Amino acid sequence: MYPTATPVPRTTSAPALRALAEQREVLERFHLGLDAERRGDWQAASAEFERIIALHPAEPQNSTARYDLAIAYVNLHRLDDAAQQLQDAIARDPGFLAAMANLIAVDLDRGDLRDARAVADRFVAAAPDSARAMYERGLVALRLGDSATAQNDFGRLLHANPAYAVAHYDLGLAQAHANRYDSAEREFQLALDLAPGYARARFALGTILLREGKRTQARAAFDIVAADAAGDPALRNLAVAMRDAIKTH
Amino acid sequence: MSRRWLRLFVLPVIIAVCTLAGAYGFAGAQSLEAMLDGALQPSAAPALLGPIAENGRVGWACKPEKAAGASAWQDAELPRP
Repeated sequence: MYPTATPVPRTTSAPALRALAEQREVLERFHLGLDAERRGDWQAASAEFERIIALHPAEPQNSTARYDLAIAYVNLHRLDDAAQQLQDAIARDPGFLAAMANLIAVDLDRGDLRDARAVADRFVAAAPDSARAMYERGLVALRLGDSATAQNDFGRLLHANPAYAVAHYDLGLAQAHANRYDSAEREFQLALDLAPGYARARFALGTILLREGKRTQARAAFDIVAADAAGDPALRNLAVAMRDAIKTH
Repeated sequence: MSRRWLRLFVLPVIIAVCTLAGAYGFAGAQSLEAMLDGALQPSAAPALLGPIAENGRVGWACKPEKAAGASAWQDAELPRP
């Protein structure tokens, strides 16, 4: 498909003509960059968005180009550069929720939990009803060992989305970390009621049953994971080891 | 069997066996605990939200920004079990 026609400039001013030409270049490079991202050519995409940023376009194109460039950088495994572009995008557009969401995912990937937590706090403040904001901050809190925040965020997420099995699983983990094994067992069971094939939740249930001294039930749970988790060999091996450890002790 | 023989041989053997069994059980429990601690991992981080066109994030056509603000998990592009 051809791009829409550019209106003929009704000026002979050199600076105005130059600005129009640059704006046309920005639009063309956005199209080329997005096309490159669609076909997975991240090197070509990054070159287009880097050039757009070098032209210093006004908002919203500046923050948008940085957001798109960050996606290309992530796929080129340049995580620190991606985080920098997303931080710059948020600095230019402080309400840019998608940039916050992606920055937290990048921070988790590169292990910068401190920045992830700061951005997640900002994300929740900007969009208190956002499922993704609560999920991402809960996840960061879990990794930081902040069980109270994790329980609060996954609890709120479940208040609006009671049928989301993954949030039940994570809430169960937060409760287990706080030594609330009864509540954890209930959350893992709820996750399994919603998604009976959720092997990781069944494995977690097994560990809680074991901590509670319910060895026979725990062994049965690990046995099911060992049989069902063919798609997750690491979990399957762990379940087999746990099942056999119970048998011999 | 004399009491003296019992005191000298059988009791030490019983005590040694109990100590070894206790140590083995403790080590087993420790390894189980270690396995449990390492096994409970949080769910995966969500996948990145997709690219945005030159008009920016404002407007209903911007799917990634809508997903970031959505209150329903199915609209937020969150991981499935």
